[in-house]
Amino acid sequence: MNTNPDEAKLAMWLDDELQGEELVALEAWAASQPEHVAAREEVRRWRKLVTSALPATEEPPYPEFFNGRVARAIRGQVAEPAVAGRRRFAWQSLFMPLAACAGMVLAFWMGTKTQAGPPEVVVAGAPRAIPVEPVVYTPERGVKADWFASAKASATVIVLSGLTAIPDATDFSKTAALHEEREIDATAEFKLERNDGAGL
Amino acid sequence: MNNSSDEPSNVAREPAGSVDPGFSTEDPGDDFRLVARAQQGDFGSYDVLVTRHRGRIFAMIRNMIHQEADAWDLSQEVFIKAWNALPRFEAKARFSTWLYRIAHNVVYDWTRKRKIESVGELNDEIFERERIDSASLTTPSGGESPDDSMVHGELRVKIETALGKLSPEHREVVLLKDVQGLSYKEIAEVMGCSLGTVMSRLYYARQKLQTLLKDEYESR
Repeated sequence: MNTNPDEAKLAMWLDDELQGEELVALEAWAASQPEHVAAREEVRRWRKLVTSALPATEEPPYPEFFNGRVARAIRGQVAEPAVAGRRRFAWQSLFMPLAACAGMVLAFWMGTKTQAGPPEVVVAGAPRAIPVEPVVYTPERGVKADWFASAKASATVIVLSGLTAIPDATDFSKTAALHEEREIDATAEFKLERNDGAGL
Repeated sequence: MNNSSDEPSNVAREPAGSVDPGFSTEDPGDDFRLVARAQQGDFGSYDVLVTRHRGRIFAMIRNMIHQEADAWDLSQEVFIKAWNALPRFEAKARFSTWLYRIAHNVVYDWTRKRKIESVGELNDEIFERERIDSASLTTPSGGESPDDSMVHGELRVKIETALGKLSPEHREVVLLKDVQGLSYKEIAEVMGCSLGTVMSRLYYARQKLQTLLKDEYESR
């Protein structure tokens, strides 16, 4: 080869990719090109360094589990067409909620018609309903109770008359439940009693 | 190459005992025979293909992303996508080259997704290590635990650290050429670029690596 090789061919020669006649021709040309021969040696040295440190193949951790997971994923995909087949009836998934909505509306409409109750029928000769005042009963005889209701105040007041007066001497503390401060820690209380009683 | 989802998937059949255990692990001809069976739905043959190629795919992805757990998941994704796309595989290229092509897409999709998800968060992008001062004490070690470093050796750690400082394209071209031993033509197919681009990337990547590993390189 008298003329210089193109860059692509030279790069392939440097990386030992050329074969056959192309290799022979380039070797003949490189015989007079010591810098290119040195460059090829440099590439070879570099490749040797890299391959000595980084393996081309490295088993993944848990290799059997690795294959198993691939197999499961693929089988899972195979099962998908059956699911897709069901999806063909997409109109069903649209129809069902619409039918449910229509049913709900119908039920609501019927409810509004029936909630008012049956129409009032006037029976000849029957007494008409009379509004009755509420009655308040008291547990003691002779005690009268009057009630006053105010819708405006949202309040109902009951007034009792006829009750005996409460004597001034009545001790309310005996009837009322008064909260006493007590020691929660029983152990501390016990210790205090021992100190007082036994003089420890 | 995310074209695996728009065509019908291969259908798995269980062919217990149908695979010849005498298949060579390196012979591409064996790959083609296994692929032909797998294309007819023989999942046992495909399982053999997974076993034959999982080591290379895992090593490639692990060296690309420097995370073992994610590399494990992504490697599986490669084989699942490959199964789905198997009906379209033609024997024009080696099966392994075709797998590297799928691995290339899986890794770049994963990287893109991570970039989107990490917007507004602490930036821990693994492909941006070149921005970190190499003399910094907090330079990420590429996910290598101290135990791993002991196992894999000091040189490996140094080379992995240097690779981490390259751009993803430069790193990938070095891994495919110098570690996996692919030809320029095959790398161009895997990376989806021209032969000239591969040669140019490889030249500059090697130059940079040799500079980064100058001490190591000159002592050998």
